[in-house]
Amino acid sequence: MTFPSNTERPLNGKRARLKARLAPRLRIFAASSFGINVGRVIFASVFLGVWQFGANRFFDPFFFGTPLAVFKQLLMELTNVEFYHDLGVTTAEMAAGFGIGASSGIVLGVLLARWTYIASVVDPFLLALNSIPRIALAPMLIVWFGIDMASKVFLGATLVFFITFFNTIAGIRSVEPALCDVARVQGATDWQIFTKVMLPSASSWIMTGIKMSLPFALVGVIIGEFLVSSHGLGYRLNAYSTSYNTVGALSMIIIMMILMMMLTAVVERLEARIMRWRPARNLGPIARP
Amino acid sequence: MSSAILRIEGVTKTFVGRGAPVGALARTDFTIERGEFVTLVGPSGCGKSTLLNLVSGLIAPSEGVIWYESRRVTGVNRQIGYVTQQDNLFPWRTLRDNVAFPLELAGVPLRARRSEADRWIRRVGLEGFENAYPYELSGGMRQRANIIRTLIYEPPIILMDEPFGPLDAQTRISLQALLLSIWESQRSTVLFVTHDLTEAIGLADRVALMSARPGRMVRVDTVKIPRPRDIFFIHQNPEFRELHDNIWKELAAQIHDIPKQY
Repeated sequence: MTFPSNTERPLNGKRARLKARLAPRLRIFAASSFGINVGRVIFASVFLGVWQFGANRFFDPFFFGTPLAVFKQLLMELTNVEFYHDLGVTTAEMAAGFGIGASSGIVLGVLLARWTYIASVVDPFLLALNSIPRIALAPMLIVWFGIDMASKVFLGATLVFFITFFNTIAGIRSVEPALCDVARVQGATDWQIFTKVMLPSASSWIMTGIKMSLPFALVGVIIGEFLVSSHGLGYRLNAYSTSYNTVGALSMIIIMMILMMMLTAVVERLEARIMRWRPARNLGPIARP
Repeated sequence: MSSAILRIEGVTKTFVGRGAPVGALARTDFTIERGEFVTLVGPSGCGKSTLLNLVSGLIAPSEGVIWYESRRVTGVNRQIGYVTQQDNLFPWRTLRDNVAFPLELAGVPLRARRSEADRWIRRVGLEGFENAYPYELSGGMRQRANIIRTLIYEPPIILMDEPFGPLDAQTRISLQALLLSIWESQRSTVLFVTHDLTEAIGLADRVALMSARPGRMVRVDTVKIPRPRDIFFIHQNPEFRELHDNIWKELAAQIHDIPKQY
């Protein structure tokens, strides 16, 4: 079977002319950042509109809330002292979990990349450890570290650790041997090769590990708070959802989303600064001189 | 004692890989005098780069000994500089910091090594690009940087492995002229590998021709063209032409031999 193509279809003159006139303008619009932003506003409006006006018509706002109700709830949260306390607890747990996980992951990754014998010995054990679903570990962490912040910090840290660890090892192992040879010929000691060639060369991998693992710090902390806690965003979310306050629960999810987006933006700026020696990515091939 | 700076005595190299051992270099004896510019030519895969790797100390010979002055070469040492075919600049360092790297390794203070690097950068016409990263430089610019970062620490012997190989013909000849002018003022000892016979004769005091694998020295010719030479018009020199013809006949025979091995 054949499809009629545009060229075959007879167009009446007026419509064809209109189309011919509009097409290039549409193309320019779609390529401009203004055009893209207009598209985004339309997209968001349609989504929020369907959510708002579909409530009570297509679905029960008891389960899904409405954007207005969630917005009001968010305003209420933002004027509530307790909310800030919970936000502070979660942020602190996350920062500590990320800090511990990432720094130990990087340090151990660097060490094992150097000590290849020990690395091959412990390799299967690390793989086994990483295969534990971390959520299954959560109850044990509560037994070991108590119901306060420590257990959440460690749950986040175990998730972050392996991602940064494996990335660091891969980064150091992928160092171009020719670059090490150049440094050696120019008189570099083993230590100089390590600090001046291997580490900088692995930095993009390490940075990727940091970027990938950051969301998992929050995941670990929130799961920990779900299980047992008396403070934190996860506790607050849990308290809302167990009392069927969907609007409250949704507002917490939005808070977490915004928190994560802000942190990711910070890390990306940091990465752009540290990695400015790399040709910029995400640009078209013509965008670069 | 003669003024030999480098002596290669009975050196062979056989690589043992997964399959049968591969003879890369047959028994080779060769001596290089201090301040000499020697070029090595030969068909591709004849062990020219292997010989350089041996001299640099990056790999060890299967048999034989390499002497640097009165010391045996057993590992990498700073007396022997090595300019590789790939520029191998550190992508995370600016041009200036790439060039200054050997001085940094030696503990030269920041200011001193930067001004020294800038001096060399100016000398090869790269001023204005001191803070550029390697990805922002063209192939010819990167290769110039690759050469001066070896010249900057003044190793008595400089090995060069087809440093102009990947460049276009015009860039190539201008860099040859640049190298000659720097060498004529510095007079370090150079062992230069190339597969381009014009380049080999134009630059060298002596041209060593190697055979197809496993490589060995077939003949060594002294180039009597006086210095300073004009590399741009060297092909018009009758002495150059005669030498080129003679070596080319031999080299062509070597190249012909290659398919018979397979």
